[in-house]
Amino acid sequence: MANRFQLPNLGIGLGLRTTHYATILEHRPAVDWFEILTENYLRTEGRPLDFLDQIAESYPVAMHGVSLSIGSTDSLDRQYLSELKALRDRCQARWVSDHLCWTGVAGKNTHDLLPMPYTEEALAHVADRVRAVQDFLGAPLALENPSSYAQFAADSMSEWEFLGRLAEDADCALLLDVNNVYVSSRNHGFDPLTYLNAIPFDRVVQFHVAGHTDHGTHIIDSHIGPVIDPVWQLLGAAHARSTGVPVLLEWDAEIPSFEVTHAEALRAREFIGAAA
Amino acid sequence: MNREATADAVGLHERASATPERAGALPPAALGAAPAWTAGELGLRAQQEWFAAIISTPQEQAAPVDERSASRLIAPSATLSSLERIDIYRRGYHARLIECLLDDYPVLAHSLGEAAFDALCRRYIARHPSSGPSLNYFGRHMAELCRSEPLPQPGFAADLARLEWAIVLAIHAPTSEVIGFEDLSQVPSERWPGARFRVNPSLAILHLEYPANAYLQAYRQGKPTAPPGARPTSVAVYRTGRSVWRLELDPTMVALLESLAKGATLEAGLAEVEALLAHETAEELGRKVSHCFQHSVSSGLFSAISL
Repeated sequence: MANRFQLPNLGIGLGLRTTHYATILEHRPAVDWFEILTENYLRTEGRPLDFLDQIAESYPVAMHGVSLSIGSTDSLDRQYLSELKALRDRCQARWVSDHLCWTGVAGKNTHDLLPMPYTEEALAHVADRVRAVQDFLGAPLALENPSSYAQFAADSMSEWEFLGRLAEDADCALLLDVNNVYVSSRNHGFDPLTYLNAIPFDRVVQFHVAGHTDHGTHIIDSHIGPVIDPVWQLLGAAHARSTGVPVLLEWDAEIPSFEVTHAEALRAREFIGAAA
Repeated sequence: MNREATADAVGLHERASATPERAGALPPAALGAAPAWTAGELGLRAQQEWFAAIISTPQEQAAPVDERSASRLIAPSATLSSLERIDIYRRGYHARLIECLLDDYPVLAHSLGEAAFDALCRRYIARHPSSGPSLNYFGRHMAELCRSEPLPQPGFAADLARLEWAIVLAIHAPTSEVIGFEDLSQVPSERWPGARFRVNPSLAILHLEYPANAYLQAYRQGKPTAPPGARPTSVAVYRTGRSVWRLELDPTMVALLESLAKGATLEAGLAEVEALLAHETAEELGRKVSHCFQHSVSSGLFSAISL
């Protein structure tokens, strides 16, 4: 059974990080695929692209961005979209993803994934922009549920309702980050299975897993350390509802050796059965 | 005139969807006064403008909101107040950009010390907020800021920042072929005087008031020194393949490279070198001119030759 966008199940992948470049290029380890951080390879003509070109020759690549700012009330950045398209073509990215968030307003970029108000106004606004981006790219955009630490007082619906309605209204794909579901469930006090039960899984084309930091009063999506068992179990629950889509580990702080990182990603096999 | 390689990881900001956590972050700021939006409904634009205004306010300043008004924007959780929840984003905003500047300026950070560099970064962020989708060039104003700040040695700090920024630019400059002696051996002798050399497109020649390169090199070798006194130096920063190089230049190489970079022929460029060496004997002059040119070639400073 394939997802409705017919995007391939690439298997278990890793977020490509600079600290692993040398190991990857020297040893060509058997990794199913890599996800690149889009903005690392924009606005450069130099060394980052040299590395990417070599890695994309040997491995399937998908692009994961953090500056699309799909929820912002500023105009869409057409130059950024052009650069996105050019990079996708350059590295033959299998798909392009970003986050359900905004990163700035009034011409400034905070470079953070800021939370959306979950209102009818915001839903209509984001759906219009997703459609515009997909038209520009000529391909589905996969939107990821971000971790959040705040909820707007004006919210009139839950995040899962917003995400599900957005996906249907804009006809877009979803990247479901099960660590983010877990983090937000703890920060906002909801049952993560309630979230999963509302997701249109035929639109989910990829899963993310990651570590986080528990501060007691709240959890920060730090991408530090191994994935905790409750998040792995949530991946298992999500994967069982899915059409069988790729899983990717993000590890962005205190990054260990390539071998350790890859071994952590492969733990996904224990929770998703033989499907991957 | 040994050339020195920089550390490989410098200059690429590892963007991520993670929320950064910076040790030593400031405590939550004091509350400010009630803002104008305490009455009436907030549309999406206003919600975003106010949220952005609060999180981008320097952490050492009072937040431009009071708790009651904050709760009209952001709902409290079972464990955190509205302002505490917003403050997580405020910390993240500053931490991410400080980390970015630390990536660009590790040696400047070392020379100033952690607290002074942190304070400098916070002033930088307030004065030069990011407006683009990439952080690759976010740090471009650091040397300018150093000159205007009450630092112990603003001139040295600015020179160090210029040098570290040149390394970042070399990383992002177009990758180019480099010509060597084998390529030059193909040039007929009668074509040499009129030959024009394209310098490596990543090349920057810095004229510094302080020996910032020696300081940076000592740091990289694990032998940090005290910030030096003024001593003018010229440094070439450029990239060949994946390696970024720093090469201290004597006046003859400066003259040759700057002349050729402007499009002068080799004959004209070497004439400028000879003018600097006019006091030398003919034999010594010939040796030094030859060395100057050969050293430029062997260092990978030229990417093409046209006849």
